[in-house]
Formats: sequence, C-alpha cells, structure tokens
Amino acid sequence: MSDAVAVGPAYRSSRRRLAFLFAALVIAVLPLLLTSGYWRTNLTLCAINVLLAIGLDFILGYAGQLNLGQSAFYGLGAYVSTLLITKFGVHFWAAFAAGVAFAGLAGMILSLFAVRLRGHYLAIASLGFAVIVHQILLNWISLTQGPLGIYGIPPPPAIAIPGLPPIEFSNQVALFYLVSAFALLAYLLLDQLVRSPIGEALTAVREDEISAQSLGINANAWKVFAFGVGAAVGGAAGCFYATFVGTLVPDAFFITESFTILAMVIVGGMGTLIGPVFGAILLTLLPELLRDIGDLRLVVYGLALTLVVLFMPGGLVQGWELLRRKFAGARVAGGR
Amino acid sequence: MSEILLSAKSLHKSFGGVRAVRDVSYDIPQNSVFAIIGPNGAGKSTMLNLISGVYQPDTGSLTFAGADMAGMPSYRRVRLGIARTFQKIRLFKQLSVLDNVVAGFHIHHDIPAWQYLIHAGAFRRDHARCREEAMELLSFMGLARRHDTLAGSLSYGEQRMLEYARALATRPKLLLIDEPAAGLNAAEVDTLLDRIQTTRKRDVTVVIVEHNMELVMTVADRILVMDYGQRLFEGIPSDVQKDPAVVAAYLGGELT
Repeated sequence: MSDAVAVGPAYRSSRRRLAFLFAALVIAVLPLLLTSGYWRTNLTLCAINVLLAIGLDFILGYAGQLNLGQSAFYGLGAYVSTLLITKFGVHFWAAFAAGVAFAGLAGMILSLFAVRLRGHYLAIASLGFAVIVHQILLNWISLTQGPLGIYGIPPPPAIAIPGLPPIEFSNQVALFYLVSAFALLAYLLLDQLVRSPIGEALTAVREDEISAQSLGINANAWKVFAFGVGAAVGGAAGCFYATFVGTLVPDAFFITESFTILAMVIVGGMGTLIGPVFGAILLTLLPELLRDIGDLRLVVYGLALTLVVLFMPGGLVQGWELLRRKFAGARVAGGR
Repeated sequence: MSEILLSAKSLHKSFGGVRAVRDVSYDIPQNSVFAIIGPNGAGKSTMLNLISGVYQPDTGSLTFAGADMAGMPSYRRVRLGIARTFQKIRLFKQLSVLDNVVAGFHIHHDIPAWQYLIHAGAFRRDHARCREEAMELLSFMGLARRHDTLAGSLSYGEQRMLEYARALATRPKLLLIDEPAAGLNAAEVDTLLDRIQTTRKRDVTVVIVEHNMELVMTVADRILVMDYGQRLFEGIPSDVQKDPAVVAAYLGGELT
C-alpha cells in the first residue's frame, strides 16, 4: 500500500439528500396512515421529543457536557412563549422567537457553571438549575398560576397562502406537519454544524480540553455556544408543546423529564445526531405500545433501558452498525 | 546571531511552597533548536507550560515575536504561532488519526459564517484542503496508512508521532515538544531526530525538553540547563559538558 491513501469518508451529500427526502416523505405520510387522534397526538409528541433529544445531544454527545437541565430549557421555552401570548397578546411567532432566545440565554448562563465544573459536579449543578426553574414555575403564582396551570393556549395563527385555503393549526395534522418540519430543519442545521469545524472543535473539547486549547480552541467559549444552541432547541420544543397541548402545568417540566430526555439520547446513541432521533421516537412510543399490559409496562420499559445500557452502550446506532456488519459479512461469505 | 523569537525575563512560578521556576531568563533565536534539560523536578515542564500559557508566571515577562504575552490564555498563543506536545500524551483517543490532525487546523479555516449552516463551495474547498494537508502531515510523520485508525489504538511511538503532526497542523512559528523521545525505541528516536531537523528547516523554531542527551546534543543549537527551578547554564552544546555547575548537578559532585 502506498502512502497516497484516498481520504475518507468522502463527502456524501447526495446520500444525505436522499435520506432527507425519505424522512420528509415519512413525515408526510404518517398522519395519513395513523388517523386516530390518539396516534396523531403521539406523532406530534415524537416530533417534540426529537427536538429535546437532539438539543441535549448537541450539549452532551458533542461538547461532552453532562447537562441534566434540559427540562428547565423545555419549561422556559414553553412558559415564556405562552405568557407572552396569553398575557401580553404577542404574536405567536414573535413569542416563539422570544421563548427560544430566552431558553438559549438560560443555557448560556448555565454554561458558566460548565466553565468551572465538569462531570458529576456539572450534572448536579444543572440538575439544581432544573429544580430551581421548576420551583419558580410552581411558586410564582401571580405570573404562572402555579399548579393550577394555564389553560386555553391557542394554536399558532393560520398561515394564509394566496389561492389556497389557509392552513389552520387547530387541525392536528397541520400542527404535526409544522412541528416535524421544524424538527427536520433543526436536525439539518445541527447536522451541518456538527460536520463543520465547529463540530470538530466541540468534539475536541469533549475528548480533551487541555489538548483542545493547545490547538487554539477556546474551550469555554465553545461550551457556552453548545449550551446556548442545545438549550434553544429545547426551548423551541417547549413552545410547540404549549401550543400543542393547550395547557401548561409546571409538573410537565419536572426534573424527571431531564432524565427521560437523557435516556432518549443514550438509548439512541450519544454523539450521533440520528441516534437520539430514534431514541426519542422509541421512548415516546414504547410506553404507549406497552399500555395494554398495565403497570407491568414500567417494568418492561426499565428493563429495556437497562439492557441497552449494559449490552449496547453505543445505543441504537451501535446496534444498527453491528447488524449491518453481520449482514455485510454474511453477504461476503455467501458470495464465495 | 539571528533575531530573537522568544524572550523570557526573570520568570518566577511557585506552586504553594514549591518554587518551580526561579528567576529564569533566556532568549531563543529564530530558527533554532533550543533544548531545556535538567534533573527531574528541575522545572522544565513548568517552563514549557509558562511558554504555552497553561500557567501564567507569578512575575517576569515573556515576549514572543515582539508581543508581550502576559495574561494571554493558551488558546490565544496558538494564534500567535505557539504549538506544543505533551509529556503525557494527550490525543483525542476516540477520534481517528486523521481527525486528530484535522482538529489542529481549527485556527486556519477559511469559511464564511453562513456556510457552517449550509455547506457550499468555500466549505467544501476548506474541507478537502484540510484533509489533504492533514494527510501530508501524516505522511511526513509516517502515519498515512493509519489515518483511519482510532488514535487510542496506535502504538505508543505512533501516538507521539501523531501528537507531533497535530501540533504542526496549527502551523506554528514556535513548536514546544515535551520529552518526545520518552518511551520510543532507537529507530523511532532516529525518525524523531530527522523530523525535528526537517521541521526546523521549514522555519519553525523548536523548544525541546528531553532526557535523551544524545538526541539533545545532536539536535540542539542552544541548551538551557535547569536545576531546582533555577538557570544553571545557558549556551551552546559543546560548552555544557565543561560547565562545573552542570556536571555537579548531573553527577552529584561537590562544587569547589
């Protein structure tokens, strides 16, 4: 073998475009196949959870910062946008932008902990942040109405397209399309980011901070960036959640939500973007599919999680790779 | 003598009660190989960390290419042209050999901001160029065939070579190498020696901390000998062995 080796992996943008079109097709077809309100609700929840999971994965899987505060960003996005709409009559999309920006800003503030703390200490600090945000939502009754909750949150305003009937988001399918289109867009942009030198810098910080600094990478600045982006994506999920469910109570953003999102990322495969997407879909649908077996479903759910972490620490992505290699191997063997 | 690239003026650095560096001054001429030697605990690695910005000196100043580096964090010194390797190897173990070197191009990307979100022409050119240059550096260090391997599964000697390649990717003016020959076999030391000499021919000034005296004597233009954090001697290699203070420090003899 000579020293002139072709540099892989090649930049396969055509295959990515195909995968993107396929994903768009699946999104378009699903609500037409699953026509019950129950399943359409689950589909929209899947899209919301995908946003939460890829946001956390950007912080945890790429920048390597153990963030247990994702539920707080989720809640901040939901409450900020909703309060702006219901109390101040702000237009939905302006409130949406504000909710996303506020969550992103909160993420950047929390990242100041990440500048000083790492590993378990950061986990505890971010968990503490999630507790504080939950407590504020619960106890600032004059603003959030506390445990009584906020009711009657309107859907996003209809979009009028000349020559066509307006798109009403009170229609469940239209709202599903809106949320999943946004999730797809967020995925695409994050995918571009992580495969750019920004992704290289984040991964370098994850792997070895001192080493990264020795290459001119400002580790602290990149942590702030990762937290800002990941939290903003989580905030967007919150805005959609509020308008989708129509009701907000603080307990929707309790710290257990952080662990659920964490489980989605781990089950899917940290440090890949596609893994958490499937992790989020699986962990949204699995409890629903297991509903028939009553309380036993929690046992099955917990068992499935434990098995994945024990035997497939790389998550679904690792499982897929193993399968692919096995079948590729079988093909080679069969060809002889 | 040619121009001075790095100038240290009475540097002090203490850790609690330990005075790791005490009143050390020296000038490093451009395009030279400057070796720092001394017994264990003499303050050599601390000196390297002061230059690279991992530590800041308690007092004293460091001037690099005319710029005062007081208070400048390590990642900014890289932009001035200071790169380093580590005594205890610090690679990105879970990344491929190629990606380790590509990470070293961090400060040299030429991409308009929007193309980080939508990869277009300039992005692709930059992407291809970085990988091409990274492969050149890997070839230079004899690692081209290993480009797809995870850095963590390279042999010890290969890991040292990879760290060297990664540091070169930042296109340094000053390369700091901390005990590069530690744990290398004789053949690998020869390769390293050759690469250091080539590096220097490419207008890179090299500061090397090393215990392998044969390597130091061959490659160094000037040598700084440290002991107990102090400067014992500074000069050309042929004078080092004649210096009674150095001989005393190394052989444990008494000064008369």
